[in-house]
Amino acid sequence: MKFNTLLKKLMKKGDSKDVAKQRLKFALMTDKLEIKTDTLGNLQRDLVEVISRYFEIDKEAVNIDIQRSEESSALIFNTPILSANTRRGLPAA
Amino acid sequence: MDGKVIVVTSGKGGVGKTTITASLGAALAVQGKRVAIVDMDIGLRNLDVVMGLENRIVFNIVDIIKGKCKIKQAAIKDRRIDNLFLIPASQSDDKDVIKPENMVWLTNKLRKEFDITLLDCPAGIEQGFKNSIAAADEALVVCTPEVSAVRDADRIIGLLYAQSITPKLIVNRIIPKMVESGDMLSHEDVVEVLSIDLIGLIEMDDRVVVATNTGMPLILQEDSKAGMALQRIALRLDGHPDLPIENPMIQKSFWKKLGSKLSRKN
Repeated sequence: MKFNTLLKKLMKKGDSKDVAKQRLKFALMTDKLEIKTDTLGNLQRDLVEVISRYFEIDKEAVNIDIQRSEESSALIFNTPILSANTRRGLPAA
Repeated sequence: MDGKVIVVTSGKGGVGKTTITASLGAALAVQGKRVAIVDMDIGLRNLDVVMGLENRIVFNIVDIIKGKCKIKQAAIKDRRIDNLFLIPASQSDDKDVIKPENMVWLTNKLRKEFDITLLDCPAGIEQGFKNSIAAADEALVVCTPEVSAVRDADRIIGLLYAQSITPKLIVNRIIPKMVESGDMLSHEDVVEVLSIDLIGLIEMDDRVVVATNTGMPLILQEDSKAGMALQRIALRLDGHPDLPIENPMIQKSFWKKLGSKLSRKN
């Protein structure tokens, strides 16, 4: 049996079931990280509101995204700052 | 004592839910239980043909829920097996005519009449699925050793947990030869990925097609491996939870055994 297994390892590139398992694990991981479409929109609206208390930002240029790699995923929020808004304490119009 | 309600579900279609539900119902009835099987696939009923009862339908589940008939009038008695009844789905109604609360009402009535009620859940996670799990005490998740089926099973398991139901897994259509050659996920692989308890392993079996062709219960087919596996699952469901799970193996002929022994030595 051991010889057979060894022979198989030498002859074959790999079992297709191992590919299946790998793909499955990855698919299940990303499935669980998937976010409903309106979740990101709501998050963006809330973030803009909070940041606007401190900075004047270009609301049109705000960009929010989730970036995934094999190992991790990251929430990327990108916004140009027009000016610090510290004095006013209120969102710029 | 009230009977229990078990939903058979999978997420993905075509993995064997209906055949498994019909066979488990038949096996449980043969074991002496009073069993009702309910086809939850409103608009696309199939359990009636699998059980060979398609000519006997008068009323269906929607008629019961709308109050047009009594449960006893809609429940069709099996031709061959005592204590086995089918409540067929409606073929003409829309899925949304039944609501989860209707199912809770119906199953509470069924619990009084039957030891075990099996719900054959439709594929998908829409209304039919929601109705099926709303009333269930236990769940069996059916999955084949394929990437697509396992992924859908994972989703279903998550939704069942959200309903406080801890499901058990049936791996169906195992081809031992392919598992051995490494071209099919083994049940260990599937269990590892899904991390839930197993309740049975069913091997790919041609007799299933014959059983469906004729409407004869699979468990009454002679030498059907799937039928035997299903009978053992029924035992596990009904009082023998520790009955060992047999792993489908390649049945080697004498010459093949000899051949593989020789090749091992070389």
